[in-house]
Amino acid sequence: MKFKRRKLEITPPYVSMADIAFNLVLFFLIMAKTQDNSDLEWEPAKDTGAKTIQNAKVSITVDKHGKTYLNNSREPVGQRDLADRVTQELGDKPPPDRIVLLKIHKDTLASTFQPIMEAVSQAGGEVVHVIEEERP
Amino acid sequence: MAAGPTGGSGGAQTAWVLNLLTDLAFNLLIFFVVCASNEPDTKGRPQQVPSADKEKANEQKPQNIEVTITRTTVAVNKEEVPLAGLTANLQGKLAGKNKPEDRIVVVKSATDTPYSQWILVTGRIEQAGGVITLELEEEKEVRVK
Repeated sequence: MKFKRRKLEITPPYVSMADIAFNLVLFFLIMAKTQDNSDLEWEPAKDTGAKTIQNAKVSITVDKHGKTYLNNSREPVGQRDLADRVTQELGDKPPPDRIVLLKIHKDTLASTFQPIMEAVSQAGGEVVHVIEEERP
Repeated sequence: MAAGPTGGSGGAQTAWVLNLLTDLAFNLLIFFVVCASNEPDTKGRPQQVPSADKEKANEQKPQNIEVTITRTTVAVNKEEVPLAGLTANLQGKLAGKNKPEDRIVVVKSATDTPYSQWILVTGRIEQAGGVITLELEEEKEVRVK
């Protein structure tokens, strides 16, 4: 007696593939977002007259320990190198894209923040102080 | 992951499709949550800070207003002024000056001036219509024998 063999219908799980691809996209999206220096400890100074700033490509952060960071770098930058580094970052960008955000901790002393402003000025950047709007 | 049967009873098929849809909905939810978790718009104050050229600053000294900031005090042309009255004081001194070069206010800060104090003072200068120029201390090289 002959038994007929059942043919197994095996098809690649295309739907699962799409799921995996989508999850990978999400994974890299989240990774790209978390690679910033938002964990740096700094508190903005308070004043009135803050405006919404868009299109800022370069930022300088001075944390509460007085260390200076350029963009999302985890390595502190020396003040002597800052002007050159900012010049490199700004390149030949037109004026609207030459905004440099200064995120300076409120207790930072002039001996630290003034040379930073000087460096940005030398590099031809437009200084924008990131402050917290003070409510009357 | 929703991997299900290629055949089977109607009930199993329906369960598989529902499972798929749940996966899809969940992924879409995560996608939109990630997209919406953008940083809020940065709020800041643009400031025109001309390059602090020491020679120019020296040239400008006689006619320009000079604001000196220390940790606790503010002085306009070496005369101490309360922070609350700074805008009015500067407005009086800048009255009648229409050219930007006449409205230059040279800002000198003591090395121990905190940023919060500096921001408040420079904000008042801008409110009064002044154009801020920073005067930095000259770097001096001291050789130790």
